[in-house]
Amino acid sequence: MSGLQERLEAYLSRTWRQPVTVADLSRIPGGASRETYRFVARTGEGSRPLILRRDPPGSLIETDRSLEYLALESFHDRVPAPRPVAMEAEGAELERPFFIMERIEGGTVASPFTVMPYGAHARTVGEAFFGILGKIAGAEPADLPLARDGVPAPETCWSMAVDHWAGVIEADEQHPQPIVRAAIRALRRKPPPPPKAVRVVHGDYRGGNFLHDPNGRILAVLDWEMVHLGDPLEDLAWAIDPLWNPFDATTVAAMIPRDEALAIWSQASGLTVDERALSWWSLFAAVKGQAIWTSAAKEYRDGGFKEPILAVSGWYTARRHDEILAAALLRLEDLQ
Amino acid sequence: MTPSLPDILVGNFMCMADPGPPEQQGEFMAGKVGLVALLSLLAAQEAERGVAARVEENVLIRATLDEAAADYGLNADWPATDALTLGALDSVNATLRKALIGLHEAVEAREDWPRHHAILRLYAKMADLRRLDLPPLPAR
Repeated sequence: MSGLQERLEAYLSRTWRQPVTVADLSRIPGGASRETYRFVARTGEGSRPLILRRDPPGSLIETDRSLEYLALESFHDRVPAPRPVAMEAEGAELERPFFIMERIEGGTVASPFTVMPYGAHARTVGEAFFGILGKIAGAEPADLPLARDGVPAPETCWSMAVDHWAGVIEADEQHPQPIVRAAIRALRRKPPPPPKAVRVVHGDYRGGNFLHDPNGRILAVLDWEMVHLGDPLEDLAWAIDPLWNPFDATTVAAMIPRDEALAIWSQASGLTVDERALSWWSLFAAVKGQAIWTSAAKEYRDGGFKEPILAVSGWYTARRHDEILAAALLRLEDLQ
Repeated sequence: MTPSLPDILVGNFMCMADPGPPEQQGEFMAGKVGLVALLSLLAAQEAERGVAARVEENVLIRATLDEAAADYGLNADWPATDALTLGALDSVNATLRKALIGLHEAVEAREDWPRHHAILRLYAKMADLRRLDLPPLPAR
Protein backbone atom coordinates (compact mmCIF):
# COMPACT_ATOMS: atom_id res chain seq x y z
CA MET A 1 0.00 0.00 0.00
CA SER A 2 1.73 3.19 -1.10
CA GLY A 3 -0.56 5.95 -2.35
CA LEU A 4 -3.06 7.98 -0.37
CA GLN A 5 -5.94 6.69 -2.49
CA GLU A 6 -5.13 3.07 -1.66
CA ARG A 7 -4.76 3.90 2.00
CA LEU A 8 -8.13 5.66 2.08
CA GLU A 9 -9.79 2.72 0.34
CA ALA A 10 -8.29 0.29 2.83
CA TYR A 11 -9.40 2.40 5.80
CA LEU A 12 -12.94 3.00 4.58
CA SER A 13 -13.44 -0.61 3.46
CA ARG A 14 -12.38 -1.81 6.91
CA THR A 15 -14.42 0.65 8.95
CA TRP A 16 -17.53 0.64 6.73
CA ARG A 17 -17.35 -3.17 6.41
CA GLN A 18 -17.91 -3.15 2.68
CA PRO A 19 -15.76 -2.59 -0.40
CA VAL A 20 -15.09 1.11 -0.95
CA THR A 21 -13.34 2.69 -3.91
CA VAL A 22 -11.99 6.25 -3.81
CA ALA A 23 -12.27 8.48 -6.88
CA ASP A 24 -11.41 12.06 -7.80
CA LEU A 25 -8.90 12.41 -4.95
CA SER A 26 -7.49 15.93 -5.15
CA ARG A 27 -5.68 18.15 -2.66
CA ILE A 28 -7.27 21.54 -2.02
CA PRO A 29 -4.97 24.60 -1.88
CA GLY A 30 -4.66 26.68 1.29
CA GLY A 31 -4.73 25.32 4.79
CA ALA A 32 -1.32 25.87 6.32
CA SER A 33 -2.01 23.64 9.28
CA ARG A 34 -3.63 20.57 7.71
CA GLU A 35 -3.56 18.81 4.36
CA THR A 36 -7.08 18.94 2.92
CA TYR A 37 -8.32 16.66 0.14
CA ARG A 38 -11.63 16.22 -1.62
CA PHE A 39 -12.66 12.79 -2.82
CA VAL A 40 -15.65 10.60 -3.61
CA ALA A 41 -16.18 7.33 -1.72
CA ARG A 42 -18.07 4.77 -3.80
CA THR A 43 -19.81 1.72 -2.36
CA GLY A 44 -22.50 -0.61 -3.63
CA GLU A 45 -25.02 1.81 -2.15
CA GLY A 46 -23.82 4.90 -4.04
CA SER A 47 -21.31 7.75 -4.00
CA ARG A 48 -20.49 10.08 -1.14
CA PRO A 49 -18.53 13.34 -1.66
CA LEU A 50 -16.19 13.80 1.30
CA ILE A 51 -13.32 15.87 2.63
CA LEU A 52 -10.20 14.45 4.28
CA ARG A 53 -8.28 16.59 6.76
CA ARG A 54 -4.91 15.03 7.51
CA ASP A 55 -2.04 16.20 9.69
CA PRO A 56 1.04 17.10 7.65
CA PRO A 57 4.49 15.82 8.68
CA GLY A 58 5.03 19.22 10.35
CA SER A 59 1.98 21.17 11.46
CA LEU A 60 1.65 24.94 11.73
CA ILE A 61 -0.67 24.73 14.70
CA GLU A 62 -0.27 22.02 17.29
CA THR A 63 -3.81 21.09 18.18
CA ASP A 64 -5.75 18.15 19.42
CA ARG A 65 -7.35 16.71 16.27
CA SER A 66 -10.30 15.46 18.28
CA LEU A 67 -11.30 19.01 19.24
CA GLU A 68 -12.03 19.97 15.63
CA TYR A 69 -14.09 16.84 15.26
CA LEU A 70 -15.98 17.55 18.46
CA ALA A 71 -16.59 21.13 17.32
CA LEU A 72 -18.22 19.90 14.12
CA GLU A 73 -20.27 17.42 16.15
CA SER A 74 -21.33 20.29 18.38
CA PHE A 75 -22.19 22.82 15.69
CA HIS A 76 -23.03 21.19 12.34
CA ASP A 77 -26.73 21.36 13.14
CA ARG A 78 -26.59 24.86 14.66
CA VAL A 79 -24.60 26.87 12.10
CA PRO A 80 -23.49 26.10 8.54
CA ALA A 81 -20.71 23.58 9.09
CA PRO A 82 -19.79 20.18 7.65
CA ARG A 83 -21.10 17.03 9.32
CA PRO A 84 -18.21 14.93 10.70
CA VAL A 85 -17.93 11.34 9.45
CA ALA A 86 -14.88 9.66 11.02
CA MET A 87 -11.76 10.46 13.00
CA GLU A 88 -8.54 8.56 13.67
CA ALA A 89 -6.29 10.25 16.20
CA GLU A 90 -3.59 7.64 15.64
CA GLY A 91 -3.76 7.74 11.86
CA ALA A 92 -4.62 4.07 11.21
CA GLU A 93 -4.02 3.20 7.52
CA LEU A 94 -3.22 6.87 6.72
CA GLU A 95 -0.33 6.89 9.21
CA ARG A 96 -0.98 10.44 10.40
CA PRO A 97 -3.97 11.73 12.42
CA PHE A 98 -6.92 12.62 10.24
CA PHE A 99 -10.63 13.06 10.10
CA ILE A 100 -13.23 12.87 7.37
CA MET A 101 -16.26 15.13 6.98
CA GLU A 102 -19.04 15.57 4.49
CA ARG A 103 -18.32 17.83 1.54
CA ILE A 104 -20.49 20.88 1.00
CA GLU A 105 -20.85 21.67 -2.69
CA GLY A 106 -21.40 24.87 -4.60
CA GLY A 107 -19.29 27.36 -2.66
CA THR A 108 -15.99 29.14 -2.88
CA VAL A 109 -13.48 30.29 -0.29
CA ALA A 110 -12.45 33.89 -0.94
CA SER A 111 -8.95 34.94 0.02
CA PRO A 112 -8.99 37.88 2.43
CA PHE A 113 -5.83 39.16 0.73
CA THR A 114 -7.62 40.22 -2.44
CA VAL A 115 -9.40 43.47 -3.32
CA MET A 116 -13.16 43.27 -2.60
CA PRO A 117 -13.12 39.52 -1.97
CA TYR A 118 -16.93 39.32 -1.85
CA GLY A 119 -17.67 41.77 -4.66
CA ALA A 120 -21.23 43.10 -4.62
CA HIS A 121 -22.21 40.63 -1.88
CA ALA A 122 -19.99 42.06 0.86
CA ARG A 123 -22.98 43.20 2.94
CA THR A 124 -24.84 39.90 2.60
CA VAL A 125 -21.72 37.97 3.52
CA GLY A 126 -20.93 40.33 6.40
CA GLU A 127 -24.38 40.09 7.96
CA ALA A 128 -24.23 36.31 7.80
CA PHE A 129 -20.59 36.16 8.93
CA PHE A 130 -21.11 38.17 12.11
CA GLY A 131 -24.51 36.61 12.73
CA ILE A 132 -23.06 33.11 12.65
CA LEU A 133 -20.21 34.13 14.92
CA GLY A 134 -22.82 35.53 17.31
CA LYS A 135 -24.68 32.20 17.23
CA ILE A 136 -21.48 30.35 18.12
CA ALA A 137 -20.88 32.81 20.96
CA GLY A 138 -24.49 32.47 22.09
CA ALA A 139 -24.40 28.70 22.46
CA GLU A 140 -24.35 27.44 26.02
CA PRO A 141 -21.22 25.26 26.06
CA ALA A 142 -21.99 22.99 29.01
CA ASP A 143 -24.28 20.75 26.98
CA LEU A 144 -22.00 20.44 23.93
CA PRO A 145 -19.66 17.49 23.19
CA LEU A 146 -16.90 20.08 23.05
CA ALA A 147 -17.20 20.71 26.78
CA ARG A 148 -16.32 17.14 27.77
CA ASP A 149 -13.20 18.34 29.64
CA GLY A 150 -15.00 21.05 31.58
CA VAL A 151 -15.49 24.79 31.28
CA PRO A 152 -12.74 27.20 32.42
CA ALA A 153 -13.43 29.86 35.03
CA PRO A 154 -14.14 33.26 33.41
CA GLU A 155 -11.30 35.01 35.23
CA THR A 156 -8.75 32.55 33.79
CA CYS A 157 -9.66 32.97 30.10
CA TRP A 158 -7.27 35.81 29.37
CA SER A 159 -4.24 34.35 31.15
CA MET A 160 -4.71 30.89 29.60
CA ALA A 161 -4.78 32.50 26.18
CA VAL A 162 -1.76 34.76 26.72
CA ASP A 163 0.31 32.05 28.39
CA HIS A 164 -0.36 29.62 25.57
CA TRP A 165 0.63 31.91 22.71
CA ALA A 166 3.52 33.54 24.57
CA GLY A 167 4.83 30.02 25.07
CA VAL A 168 4.59 29.33 21.35
CA ILE A 169 6.65 32.43 20.59
CA GLU A 170 9.18 31.47 23.25
CA ALA A 171 9.51 27.98 21.76
CA ASP A 172 9.61 28.84 18.05
CA GLU A 173 11.21 32.28 17.80
CA GLN A 174 14.32 32.30 15.61
CA HIS A 175 15.11 36.02 15.81
CA PRO A 176 14.33 38.41 18.70
CA GLN A 177 10.91 40.07 18.34
CA PRO A 178 10.77 43.13 20.60
CA ILE A 179 7.39 44.38 19.35
CA VAL A 180 5.34 41.30 20.15
CA ARG A 181 7.16 40.87 23.46
CA ALA A 182 6.21 44.43 24.44
CA ALA A 183 2.62 43.63 23.50
CA ILE A 184 2.62 40.50 25.68
CA ARG A 185 3.85 42.54 28.64
CA ALA A 186 1.17 45.17 27.95
CA LEU A 187 -1.52 42.48 27.94
CA ARG A 188 -0.33 41.15 31.29
CA ARG A 189 -0.07 44.61 32.87
CA LYS A 190 -3.73 45.44 32.23
CA PRO A 191 -5.88 42.28 32.02
CA PRO A 192 -9.38 42.55 30.57
CA PRO A 193 -12.52 42.20 32.67
CA PRO A 194 -13.67 38.55 32.79
CA PRO A 195 -16.34 37.58 30.26
CA LYS A 196 -19.96 37.58 31.39
CA ALA A 197 -20.11 34.03 30.04
CA VAL A 198 -17.51 31.49 28.91
CA ARG A 199 -18.42 30.33 25.43
CA VAL A 200 -17.11 28.35 22.47
CA VAL A 201 -14.31 30.15 20.65
CA HIS A 202 -13.84 28.95 17.06
CA GLY A 203 -10.24 30.12 17.25
CA ASP A 204 -9.72 31.03 13.58
CA TYR A 205 -12.98 32.70 12.54
CA ARG A 206 -12.06 35.03 9.68
CA GLY A 207 -12.26 35.70 5.98
CA GLY A 208 -10.77 32.75 4.12
CA ASN A 209 -12.21 30.18 6.50
CA PHE A 210 -15.73 29.84 5.16
CA LEU A 211 -17.50 28.79 1.99
CA HIS A 212 -20.04 31.11 0.40
CA ASP A 213 -22.24 30.69 -2.64
CA PRO A 214 -22.49 33.06 -5.64
CA ASN A 215 -25.26 35.03 -3.88
CA GLY A 216 -23.24 35.65 -0.74
CA ARG A 217 -24.91 32.98 1.41
CA ILE A 218 -22.48 31.31 3.80
CA LEU A 219 -22.57 27.55 3.26
CA ALA A 220 -20.00 26.34 5.77
CA VAL A 221 -17.70 27.62 8.48
CA LEU A 222 -14.42 25.73 8.19
CA ASP A 223 -11.10 25.21 9.99
CA TRP A 224 -12.18 24.63 13.58
CA GLU A 225 -8.80 23.23 14.64
CA MET A 226 -8.12 25.96 17.22
CA VAL A 227 -11.54 25.69 18.86
CA HIS A 228 -11.66 26.01 22.65
CA LEU A 229 -13.75 27.45 25.43
CA GLY A 230 -12.99 31.01 26.47
CA ASP A 231 -13.99 34.65 26.18
CA PRO A 232 -16.19 35.04 23.08
CA LEU A 233 -14.61 38.42 22.40
CA GLU A 234 -11.47 36.52 21.39
CA ASP A 235 -13.21 35.38 18.20
CA LEU A 236 -14.74 38.78 17.51
CA ALA A 237 -11.37 40.53 17.86
CA TRP A 238 -9.70 37.98 15.56
CA ALA A 239 -12.44 38.32 12.94
CA ILE A 240 -12.03 42.11 12.76
CA ASP A 241 -8.23 42.17 12.97
CA PRO A 242 -6.88 44.56 10.29
CA LEU A 243 -4.73 41.75 8.87
CA TRP A 244 -7.81 40.26 7.23
CA ASN A 245 -8.76 43.49 5.49
CA PRO A 246 -5.72 45.01 3.76
CA PHE A 247 -7.50 47.21 1.21
CA ASP A 248 -10.56 48.82 2.85
CA ALA A 249 -10.29 50.89 6.03
CA THR A 250 -14.03 51.64 6.07
CA THR A 251 -15.09 48.07 6.89
CA VAL A 252 -14.06 45.11 9.01
CA ALA A 253 -13.21 41.79 7.37
CA ALA A 254 -13.76 43.58 4.00
CA MET A 255 -17.49 43.22 4.64
CA ILE A 256 -19.39 45.86 6.65
CA PRO A 257 -18.59 48.80 8.97
CA ARG A 258 -17.32 47.90 12.43
CA ASP A 259 -20.30 49.23 14.40
CA GLU A 260 -22.73 47.25 12.28
CA ALA A 261 -20.67 44.08 12.68
CA LEU A 262 -20.62 44.46 16.46
CA ALA A 263 -24.36 45.15 16.58
CA ILE A 264 -25.14 42.03 14.53
CA TRP A 265 -22.86 39.94 16.75
CA SER A 266 -24.49 41.30 19.92
CA GLN A 267 -27.99 40.62 18.69
CA ALA A 268 -27.17 37.06 17.59
CA SER A 269 -25.18 36.18 20.72
CA GLY A 270 -27.29 37.97 23.33
CA LEU A 271 -24.03 39.39 24.68
CA THR A 272 -22.94 43.00 24.95
CA VAL A 273 -19.58 44.22 23.67
CA ASP A 274 -17.39 45.80 26.33
CA GLU A 275 -15.15 48.09 24.21
CA ARG A 276 -12.39 48.06 26.84
CA ALA A 277 -12.34 44.27 26.80
CA LEU A 278 -12.52 44.18 23.00
CA SER A 279 -9.53 46.53 22.84
CA TRP A 280 -7.55 44.10 25.00
CA TRP A 281 -8.62 41.11 22.88
CA SER A 282 -7.73 43.04 19.71
CA LEU A 283 -4.16 43.47 20.92
CA PHE A 284 -4.20 39.82 21.92
CA ALA A 285 -5.38 38.84 18.42
CA ALA A 286 -2.27 40.39 16.89
CA VAL A 287 -0.07 38.61 19.47
CA LYS A 288 -1.76 35.31 18.68
CA GLY A 289 -1.27 35.96 14.98
CA GLN A 290 2.38 36.73 15.47
CA ALA A 291 2.77 33.48 17.42
CA ILE A 292 1.21 31.50 14.59
CA TRP A 293 3.42 33.21 12.01
CA THR A 294 6.48 32.59 14.18
CA SER A 295 5.65 28.89 14.11
CA ALA A 296 5.06 29.07 10.37
CA ALA A 297 8.53 30.51 9.81
CA LYS A 298 10.05 27.74 11.88
CA GLU A 299 8.07 25.04 10.07
CA TYR A 300 9.07 26.54 6.73
CA ARG A 301 12.74 26.25 7.66
CA ASP A 302 12.45 22.86 9.35
CA GLY A 303 10.56 21.49 6.34
CA GLY A 304 13.24 22.48 3.86
CA PHE A 305 11.44 25.57 2.48
CA LYS A 306 9.03 23.41 0.48
CA GLU A 307 5.66 24.79 1.55
CA PRO A 308 5.08 28.29 0.11
CA ILE A 309 1.95 28.80 2.24
CA LEU A 310 4.24 28.68 5.28
CA ALA A 311 6.51 31.26 3.66
CA VAL A 312 3.61 33.68 3.14
CA SER A 313 2.44 33.10 6.72
CA GLY A 314 5.89 33.41 8.20
CA TRP A 315 6.85 36.43 6.16
CA TYR A 316 4.14 38.78 4.85
CA THR A 317 1.64 38.19 7.65
CA ALA A 318 4.35 38.38 10.32
CA ARG A 319 5.58 41.72 8.99
CA ARG A 320 2.00 43.01 8.76
CA HIS A 321 1.21 41.97 12.31
CA ASP A 322 4.30 43.79 13.56
CA GLU A 323 2.85 46.95 11.97
CA ILE A 324 -0.56 46.28 13.56
CA LEU A 325 1.00 45.57 16.96
CA ALA A 326 3.18 48.66 16.89
CA ALA A 327 0.20 50.86 16.01
CA ALA A 328 -1.92 49.27 18.75
CA LEU A 329 0.80 49.82 21.36
CA LEU A 330 0.92 53.51 20.42
CA ARG A 331 -2.88 53.78 20.66
CA LEU A 332 -2.81 52.26 24.14
CA GLU A 333 -0.68 55.22 25.22
CA ASP A 334 -2.73 57.74 23.24
CA LEU A 335 0.25 58.31 20.97
CA GLN A 336 0.29 58.63 17.20
CA MET B 1 12.53 36.06 12.53
CA THR B 2 10.60 35.91 9.34
CA PRO B 3 12.29 33.94 6.55
CA SER B 4 15.22 35.67 4.88
CA LEU B 5 15.21 36.63 1.22
CA PRO B 6 17.54 33.72 0.32
CA ASP B 7 15.21 31.36 2.23
CA ILE B 8 12.26 32.54 0.16
CA LEU B 9 14.04 32.27 -3.17
CA VAL B 10 15.50 28.85 -2.37
CA GLY B 11 12.03 27.80 -1.24
CA ASN B 12 10.46 28.95 -4.50
CA PHE B 13 12.84 26.61 -6.30
CA MET B 14 12.45 23.72 -3.85
CA CYS B 15 8.66 23.70 -3.84
CA MET B 16 8.49 23.59 -7.63
CA ALA B 17 11.33 21.12 -8.14
CA ASP B 18 9.33 18.20 -6.76
CA PRO B 19 6.12 17.72 -8.79
CA GLY B 20 4.45 15.73 -5.99
CA PRO B 21 1.95 12.88 -6.26
CA PRO B 22 -0.99 12.90 -8.71
CA GLU B 23 -3.50 14.13 -6.12
CA GLN B 24 -1.40 17.28 -5.66
CA GLN B 25 -1.57 18.42 -9.28
CA GLY B 26 -4.42 20.46 -10.75
CA GLU B 27 -6.04 22.95 -8.39
CA PHE B 28 -3.46 22.45 -5.64
CA MET B 29 -0.52 23.02 -8.00
CA ALA B 30 -2.25 26.09 -9.45
CA GLY B 31 -2.58 27.45 -5.91
CA LYS B 32 1.08 26.73 -5.24
CA VAL B 33 2.12 28.56 -8.40
CA GLY B 34 0.06 31.54 -7.28
CA LEU B 35 1.82 31.58 -3.92
CA VAL B 36 5.24 31.34 -5.55
CA ALA B 37 4.31 34.26 -7.79
CA LEU B 38 3.23 36.32 -4.78
CA LEU B 39 6.40 35.44 -2.91
CA SER B 40 8.48 36.46 -5.93
CA LEU B 41 6.79 39.85 -6.01
CA LEU B 42 7.36 40.39 -2.28
CA ALA B 43 10.94 39.19 -2.72
CA ALA B 44 11.48 41.96 -5.26
CA GLN B 45 10.47 44.49 -2.58
CA GLU B 46 12.81 42.90 -0.07
CA ALA B 47 15.68 42.86 -2.58
CA GLU B 48 15.13 46.57 -3.19
CA ARG B 49 14.62 47.71 0.40
CA GLY B 50 15.87 44.98 2.75
CA VAL B 51 19.49 46.06 3.20
CA ALA B 52 18.66 49.73 3.68
CA ALA B 53 15.90 48.80 6.17
CA ARG B 54 18.29 46.73 8.27
CA VAL B 55 21.03 49.36 8.21
CA GLU B 56 18.58 52.03 9.38
CA GLU B 57 16.97 49.80 12.02
CA ASN B 58 20.37 48.91 13.45
CA VAL B 59 21.33 52.60 13.58
CA LEU B 60 18.07 53.51 15.33
CA ILE B 61 18.29 50.73 17.93
CA ARG B 62 21.93 51.53 18.62
CA ALA B 63 21.05 55.19 19.16
CA THR B 64 18.27 54.25 21.59
CA LEU B 65 20.61 51.96 23.52
CA ASP B 66 23.41 54.53 23.56
CA GLU B 67 21.07 57.23 24.82
CA ALA B 68 19.91 55.02 27.71
CA ALA B 69 23.26 53.41 28.48
CA ALA B 70 24.28 55.69 31.32
CA ASP B 71 20.87 55.72 33.03
CA TYR B 72 20.41 51.97 32.82
CA GLY B 73 24.00 50.80 33.27
CA LEU B 74 24.22 49.22 29.84
CA ASN B 75 27.53 47.93 28.59
CA ALA B 76 27.61 49.79 25.30
CA ASP B 77 29.73 47.44 23.24
CA TRP B 78 27.14 46.62 20.62
CA PRO B 79 28.43 44.72 17.59
CA ALA B 80 28.71 46.42 14.22
CA THR B 81 29.44 45.35 10.69
CA ASP B 82 30.61 46.98 7.50
CA ALA B 83 29.25 44.11 5.44
CA LEU B 84 26.14 45.10 3.54
CA THR B 85 24.70 41.62 3.36
CA LEU B 86 21.37 40.55 4.81
CA GLY B 87 23.03 37.80 6.85
CA ALA B 88 25.65 40.05 8.43
CA LEU B 89 23.14 42.80 9.17
CA ASP B 90 20.64 40.32 10.67
CA SER B 91 23.34 38.88 12.90
CA VAL B 92 24.07 42.32 14.35
CA ASN B 93 20.35 43.05 14.46
CA ALA B 94 19.67 39.99 16.61
CA THR B 95 22.10 41.23 19.27
CA LEU B 96 20.72 44.75 19.14
CA ARG B 97 17.10 43.57 19.36
CA LYS B 98 17.91 41.41 22.41
CA ALA B 99 19.47 44.42 24.11
CA LEU B 100 16.44 46.54 23.17
CA ILE B 101 14.06 43.99 24.70
CA GLY B 102 16.10 44.06 27.91
CA LEU B 103 16.15 47.86 27.95
CA HIS B 104 12.40 48.10 27.36
CA GLU B 105 11.67 45.69 30.22
CA ALA B 106 13.85 47.80 32.51
CA VAL B 107 12.20 51.01 31.31
CA GLU B 108 8.75 49.61 32.08
CA ALA B 109 9.86 48.36 35.48
CA ARG B 110 11.17 51.84 36.31
CA GLU B 111 7.99 53.45 34.90
CA ASP B 112 10.15 55.67 32.74
CA TRP B 113 7.24 56.66 30.52
CA PRO B 114 8.96 59.20 28.23
CA ARG B 115 11.53 56.56 27.27
CA HIS B 116 8.78 53.93 27.03
CA HIS B 117 6.97 56.13 24.52
CA ALA B 118 10.16 56.71 22.57
CA ILE B 119 10.69 52.95 22.28
CA LEU B 120 7.10 52.44 21.12
CA ARG B 121 7.69 55.04 18.38
CA LEU B 122 10.88 53.17 17.47
CA TYR B 123 8.84 49.96 17.11
CA ALA B 124 6.46 51.67 14.72
CA LYS B 125 9.42 52.85 12.64
CA MET B 126 10.99 49.37 12.68
CA ALA B 127 7.75 47.77 11.51
CA ASP B 128 7.35 50.35 8.76
CA LEU B 129 10.93 49.85 7.53
CA ARG B 130 10.29 46.12 7.09
CA ARG B 131 6.85 46.57 5.55
CA LEU B 132 5.90 44.38 2.61
CA ASP B 133 3.20 45.71 0.30
CA LEU B 134 0.58 43.25 -0.85
CA PRO B 135 -0.30 43.71 -4.52
CA PRO B 136 -3.96 44.59 -5.18
CA LEU B 137 -4.94 41.16 -6.44
CA PRO B 138 -8.52 40.88 -7.73
CA ALA B 139 -10.84 38.34 -6.12
CA ARG B 140 -11.32 35.13 -8.08
